[in-house]
Amino acid sequence: MKATYYSLAAGLLFFTACKPTIEGDSPSKGNADFSRYVAIGNSLTAGYADGSLYKSGQENSYPAMLAEKFKLVGGGDFKQPLLPGNAGWPGPKRVLSVNPACDGTTSLGPSLYSGTFDTAGSSTNISSQGPFNNLGVPGIRCVDYTIAGYAAIAQAIGGVGYAARMYPSPTTDRPIDVAAKSNATFFTMWLGSNDVLGYALGGGEGNGTGGTLPSDISQVAAFEASYRAVADAMTANGAKGVLLNIPDVTTIPYFTTIPRNGLNLTRQGQVDSLNTAYAPLGISFSLGQNYFIIQDLAAPGGLRPIKEGEYLLLTTPQDSLKCRGWGSIKPIPKRYVLDAAEVSNVQTATTTFNGIIARVASEKKLPLVDANAYLKTLQSGIKFNGLSFGPTFVTGGAFSLDGVHLTPRGYALVANEVIRMINNFYGSNIPQVDITRYNGVLFP
Amino acid sequence: MKKIFVLSFAGTTIAATAFGGSFQLNLQGMRQVAMGGSGVAMPWDASTIFYNPGGLARLTGIQAYGSVYLVSPTVRYVPDHAGQIYYETQKHTSTPFALYVGGPIKKDSRIGIGLGIYTPFGSSADWGDDWTGMYVTQSISLQSIFFQPTVSYRINDRISLGAGFIYGTGSVEIQKAVPVQDISGKSGKASLDGKASGIGFNAGVQIRATDDLNFGVSYRSGVRMKVKEGDATFTVPPSLVTNFPDTKFSTELPLPSIFTVGASYKATKRLTVQADVVFAGWKAYDSLKFDFEKNTSALTDTRDPRLYKNTVAIRLGANYQIGKMAEVMIGGAYDPTPSDAMYLSPDAVDANRVSLSCGIVLKPVKKLDIMAALNYTTTAAHKASYTPANMNGTYQIKSLIPALGISYSFN
Repeated sequence: MKATYYSLAAGLLFFTACKPTIEGDSPSKGNADFSRYVAIGNSLTAGYADGSLYKSGQENSYPAMLAEKFKLVGGGDFKQPLLPGNAGWPGPKRVLSVNPACDGTTSLGPSLYSGTFDTAGSSTNISSQGPFNNLGVPGIRCVDYTIAGYAAIAQAIGGVGYAARMYPSPTTDRPIDVAAKSNATFFTMWLGSNDVLGYALGGGEGNGTGGTLPSDISQVAAFEASYRAVADAMTANGAKGVLLNIPDVTTIPYFTTIPRNGLNLTRQGQVDSLNTAYAPLGISFSLGQNYFIIQDLAAPGGLRPIKEGEYLLLTTPQDSLKCRGWGSIKPIPKRYVLDAAEVSNVQTATTTFNGIIARVASEKKLPLVDANAYLKTLQSGIKFNGLSFGPTFVTGGAFSLDGVHLTPRGYALVANEVIRMINNFYGSNIPQVDITRYNGVLFP
Repeated sequence: MKKIFVLSFAGTTIAATAFGGSFQLNLQGMRQVAMGGSGVAMPWDASTIFYNPGGLARLTGIQAYGSVYLVSPTVRYVPDHAGQIYYETQKHTSTPFALYVGGPIKKDSRIGIGLGIYTPFGSSADWGDDWTGMYVTQSISLQSIFFQPTVSYRINDRISLGAGFIYGTGSVEIQKAVPVQDISGKSGKASLDGKASGIGFNAGVQIRATDDLNFGVSYRSGVRMKVKEGDATFTVPPSLVTNFPDTKFSTELPLPSIFTVGASYKATKRLTVQADVVFAGWKAYDSLKFDFEKNTSALTDTRDPRLYKNTVAIRLGANYQIGKMAEVMIGGAYDPTPSDAMYLSPDAVDANRVSLSCGIVLKPVKKLDIMAALNYTTTAAHKASYTPANMNGTYQIKSLIPALGISYSFN
């Protein structure tokens, strides 16, 4: 009997000796309290992707990823205003498909999801399921945070009821009140992109030096007042948190995918007739790649070739470029173009707003994640365990099919950058997320 | 796809990140394994065909020798900044073997001949299809079998020489995930399978300086194991099939040259101690290249840097004769890794290895040796990166190898 025990013990020893023993560091919270984490922000925070909001996008939002890791250091439940399905709401999301073009070719590109619309009825208010930890509202600007009844107004004007779904009193609530009432012990705040983006996505047709409409760039004073107010509200009870600044939108695929010199002339006849037509304006063409002709009211004849540093929007109709002479015999309408002056407005505003965010961070002793600088590193490529991410549409892997928002893997990159900053600043040891666990762009 | 090569009769897969630097396997003789892998100075038995062909003519007669090793190492990977998550290679037992026939052609002849069939290199690591490093490797299996006809000549009672020609055959099987996901989120997969071959030689000298003191030197040349027409197959989403065509590939794995010097000393009538110093020319393994016959924008030839460096390993052992019927052995070795800590891929995990071993030989009847050995190899925590993939973490290898062998003398 005893001998059996001995041999058992010997056997165990035998096997344990063959098992590796190394382990990672145990997680710790440092000097922050993650028990009630709340995410403040816009579509990027909500988990918006592929041109819409849908359940799996929300489940893979960067705040959801953060919350999962915060749970290892005392974080509590993280409730999101989840949609019931994955079709996208209010409109369908985009998916990749092989699409026929007007010129008889087919190519892989985004198209609207045509499956079962499983998000119907989502305009019903679900605030009773809250309070929600993810307060990201697609479309919301920083300056909207102090507007009473924002949710109802946004629904009335834009027809988008993201806030109206989740706010307790959509007709009276100010977003800042909803944020303050969340009683966060820890928060992330990625606010301000829409104060620039609305203008840029609209081809710079709004007011580029400060207006009040969503298609304008927000006024600096209003931005600063609102940003400070939200930061004050979130820290009023001593909560700690992280601020993220505004990415430079001119590096995202929405603006960089359609090449400026995408007018490919293959026949001398085409070249000759265009040269004849444009001779009075002094514009000439040659075989091969040419700059597209764009509308510019200030140019002679109201049109000119696009220049370096200007951008064509991803939404420019491809069939019009290919088969209807857009960009050659007809100028591309200016609403599809971000011209040099508009680019300058976007970049000036981004710099100004980021300056405000940096000042607030340092005054309130909050760490700042420089999302602008980080996402620029996509230009040279970011790698993780054999995955490569770049700035290109579809193949880059980081941006979703709307060319603006991120894929779950893209959001995971952001989550890790946030975790890195939290660990640096608060002396915590929160594990990073495993980017390979999440989806990138899905191919048919 | 012919994954089975000529000598599959033994049902053998040679494998294991197990024993010896990197994918080198030092499992070619029972007594030597039990003595930390040392044995260049003494013709212990017919396995000297591998350890030092110069010893073959010093055997007392023709021997037939067979041994098999049960290798099932475990490698653990702890990713940086990932908390207490870790990954381990899946348990998988492989059985490298060594067979030898040889000795002096007749009693007291100065000439010895022999043939060795052994498995000098092998590596297998199966991390599973769905782990954090799947885009770098899912599984890899390198196998080799070397055939070494050998002649040896005893110049006088003091000095003997020997040399063998090596024909090496082997195979490589690699699987990794391709970072394109289908509509359900499932990643693509690449499978590379190929047969490899190469040639080389193994030569050595043994010197009996005194009745008790022996010296030995051996040199095994590097062998470039070439895969000429491997099969690369890809499973990817339908819309990307033309980007990843199934194609032939070629690659080359340079197995290092091994230069060994050693001495053995008969300290008492019963006790012999020995030591080897092993220089391995790993510098030849600078990069791993795959040349695909069909290239597309998505499928380009690859070149993964490895930047191996030469190493010097120390092996020590002792043999104690209990009587006419038995001997026992112990030994140990220190094997520094040839790998570069910035270029350590999880498909070839390595670290400085410490190994301890012991063994016993029983002689129930005259001429017959029954041998058993046990080797335990471990590494400390080894922090490393695979820079091309930005994969960073800490590795540890542990392995316990039991071995069995039998030898019969015809003299």
